[in-house]
Amino acid sequence: MSLLLRLARDLFSRLFEKVDLPLLLALLGLMLVSLVVLASASGDNARLVMSQGARFGVGLVALLLLSRVTPGKLRLWTPLAYAGSLVLLAAVFVFGTGRSANLWLNLGVFYLQPGELLKLTVPMMLAWFLHAAPLPPGWRVLGVCGAILGLPVAMIVMQPDLGTGMLVAASGVFAVFLAGIAWWRIALFGGLGLAALPIGWQFLMPYQRDRILTFLNPENDPLGAGWNIIQSKIAIGSGGLTGKGWGQGSQSHLDFLPEHTTDFVFSVLSEEFGWVGVVTVLAIYLFIIGRCLWIATQARDGYARLLAGTVAMTFSVYVVVNGGMVAGLLPVVGVPMPLLSFGGTSAVSLLVGFGMVMSVHAHRKFMAS
Amino acid sequence: MRSLPRRKLKNLHAEAAQFQRRAFVGFVAIAVAMLGLAAGYFRLQVLQHEEYQLRSEANRIKPRPIVPARGLITDRNGRLLADNVPAYRLEIVAEQVRDLDATLAGLAELVALDDEDIARFREARRATRAFRPVPLKLRLSEAELARLAVNRHRFPGVEVVPYLTRRYPYGELFAHIIGYVGRVDADDLAAMGDSRNSALTHIGKAGIERYYEDRLRGEIGYEEVETNVEGRALGVLRRIPAKPGADLQLTVDARLQQAMVDAFEGQHGAAVAIDPKTGEILAMVSLPAYDPNLFINGISHRDWQALQAPSRPLFNRNVLGGAPPGSTIKPFMALAALEAGTRTPGQRTFSSGEFFLPGQARGYRDWRPGGHGWVDLNESLAQSVNSYYFQLAVELGVDRLDAFFERLGFGQPTGIDLAGEVSGVRPSRDWKRRTYNQNWFPGDTVNAAIGQGYWVTSPLQLARATAMLADDGVMRRPHLLRASQAGFNQPMRPEPQPEGVQVIGNAAHLAAVNAGLESVMHGPTGTARAAAAGSTYRMAGKTGTTQRVSRRGTERMDPKQLPYHLRHQAWFIGFAPVEAPTIAVVVLVEHGGSGSTAAAPVARRIMDAWILPPAEEPAP
Repeated sequence: MSLLLRLARDLFSRLFEKVDLPLLLALLGLMLVSLVVLASASGDNARLVMSQGARFGVGLVALLLLSRVTPGKLRLWTPLAYAGSLVLLAAVFVFGTGRSANLWLNLGVFYLQPGELLKLTVPMMLAWFLHAAPLPPGWRVLGVCGAILGLPVAMIVMQPDLGTGMLVAASGVFAVFLAGIAWWRIALFGGLGLAALPIGWQFLMPYQRDRILTFLNPENDPLGAGWNIIQSKIAIGSGGLTGKGWGQGSQSHLDFLPEHTTDFVFSVLSEEFGWVGVVTVLAIYLFIIGRCLWIATQARDGYARLLAGTVAMTFSVYVVVNGGMVAGLLPVVGVPMPLLSFGGTSAVSLLVGFGMVMSVHAHRKFMAS
Repeated sequence: MRSLPRRKLKNLHAEAAQFQRRAFVGFVAIAVAMLGLAAGYFRLQVLQHEEYQLRSEANRIKPRPIVPARGLITDRNGRLLADNVPAYRLEIVAEQVRDLDATLAGLAELVALDDEDIARFREARRATRAFRPVPLKLRLSEAELARLAVNRHRFPGVEVVPYLTRRYPYGELFAHIIGYVGRVDADDLAAMGDSRNSALTHIGKAGIERYYEDRLRGEIGYEEVETNVEGRALGVLRRIPAKPGADLQLTVDARLQQAMVDAFEGQHGAAVAIDPKTGEILAMVSLPAYDPNLFINGISHRDWQALQAPSRPLFNRNVLGGAPPGSTIKPFMALAALEAGTRTPGQRTFSSGEFFLPGQARGYRDWRPGGHGWVDLNESLAQSVNSYYFQLAVELGVDRLDAFFERLGFGQPTGIDLAGEVSGVRPSRDWKRRTYNQNWFPGDTVNAAIGQGYWVTSPLQLARATAMLADDGVMRRPHLLRASQAGFNQPMRPEPQPEGVQVIGNAAHLAAVNAGLESVMHGPTGTARAAAAGSTYRMAGKTGTTQRVSRRGTERMDPKQLPYHLRHQAWFIGFAPVEAPTIAVVVLVEHGGSGSTAAAPVARRIMDAWILPPAEEPAP
């Protein structure tokens, strides 16, 4: 009996010795918030809450396992992982399925969205390339980075999946930023980007243009996205400072708020827990990002550093884009609130990303033995 | 990495320090963005809280789409070919249902639901957002309605909704013209873009229903409905009315259409009848056909399998099909030579039964063993003399032929208002180079002279060219839409059509060819004189027979003895009455005998139905 107990304790401590406890606790806190809000938003649909819990479980196991892999091993496998995810992405064009865009591959057992994989493999590949390149990056290095990033982003946007494309692109931008690209180059790219906006408009799909126009004038689309945003703002605004209380959000319970378990889950949280709840959750997000960046600075080599830093900064894009969208501060883009929205693929891939950060932490410069 | 300059060594300490600075800057930027977000929420939740609080309490207003009635489709005399009838459907709003499987099982006891209904529902549910209703079953029966009315309280989120459903009173008769509407799927919605259209249940999938979908559909309106706390509707506050779809009047005549089907006497094939003066399609059939009513509420697996038969009932042969035109190309070949000045109508050619190219041992044969002797243009058409056209085509050369047939619209879609029209093949040096990467041989020209070899023409292309012969050399767009009415209080507006193009300007050339076509029907040697026997009006026409196997092997074989799929295709093109044509007809009989025995009699019956006084009205 005592042997069993010792074995269990041993296993437990070995699994958790490598992880950064503050980061893990913050992530667990967020997942708890997610389950609580989903329970209310789904109208006490136990199956939905349990399935989200199961996905968190899968993600956490992946996180713990990854934390035991050294960044060196990750680095070794990076080019293969990148190439493999590109092949899968290309396969979507041939075998893809999906409702309005072909984003999914049917693997028989489950559906896979290769775009989701690239959110991980693109930062890995950029870190792999940049860690050996002379830094701060010059034109030649930036050119290669552009190619590593541009090909998958172009393919994802063509599918068309603007939200994922934007997140992958952001991860690339952050990798180059953290690698120390000169400020004047940042200014130059920023200027060029602004100048290219009208050209980019021409390449958007009609529904994507509609979304931006709807954002500018929500009353134009009373049955579609505009109505959603209006209802979401009412939900948030009526929540007030301290909220209507758990399970008391009339906007979601009377079905005025659409998709209140997925993209608009943050509106439910805002309605039921008020500004206090919003700020608390934003603080947890900020803590997670800060903690990851700190772990990155402690990393042993350039690869680990860039990978952890990029994962952290990309995470912030989810929060800002989704939080801004549901409050009508930004146009509607299909980006979930990370670890809060219902939906398995993104939760698992986010936790895998944090698993890499844990791996960086476990194999940092000055390991306390 | 080798390509990178080596002199620039990596400074690991500097990189780590640089990273620390960047990470700090990045963190500050993110913190500022989050603060901005918190400030934005502060404005909504604290500063504007009272306003939103009021709006939330008063929030009992939901928009509800109003789907307009789809436009009606009539024939040229106002007979209804597609109309709308009231019906009820069962809908489920997935978001409001606790346990979907239990609900479906419960409903299956009240309503006849088969696996296909449920599979389709699950498919549609995945494609729609959870707060939108998804139809489970269309066209509920009276008994089902009654059972649902009693048990409705047991199924929250389940609604019985009245709607208008499409009906095609003539069934198979207009299948290849009207097409059909079917259930909207995810691809349709993505293609339409506008989010309002998700309220639609049906969309045109084929034929006129598809081609003129935008006009038939109208514009979806909406009303703002006040609801009580449970979400039940109390009253309508504001209404943006829907714009009904336009009613379409087609050029076809239901009576002639029926006569055309009857004329085939059960054979397979296709036929088109055009008013040569306008390009209006008076009737058009592709046989066998299908019942478009099967598709409206989702076709069952068994019905669908039945439509996959080798005879291809779903395939519109007029628009999507094509075959070598055979001897029906000869009048246009003759016209090409007259226009180019290489022939005069009286010029004669000797037919010995076999034609040889210089330096070749292999001969090209006339259909009559021993040949036709000396023939002029008129006789060459009347008897369909191959060697006359072999000689004529060799004189002209493939390039001049190609240019002339391009002018007559061969090898190009006719522009009919149906989707997916094929181009066919107009053989030329260029085309053969592109398609087979081979040179053009003189033998190819000889084959092309009698509409064999590489030629592929659709019945519509031949019909357009035939109508041109009947309309003094003017070529028009064949079309199906005659007029439309954008609302019941609007006037019926004729559909504008492009001006006809004068492709043959020389009336003498046309007259010579048309005289030859008249001899085919009424001359003592005409190949189709049997089909014209006893007619009270004068006809012009040309027969054609194309083999699927070489004539050499089966020279003296009765065509009806060949295996079914290798039997001849019989063609007929023609118009009547010769003096003032009111109808141009193309007939293609598949697996028939020759053009004169299989296709010409069909054409005669069609022309009789149009020109002779009508017998009686067909019942829908």
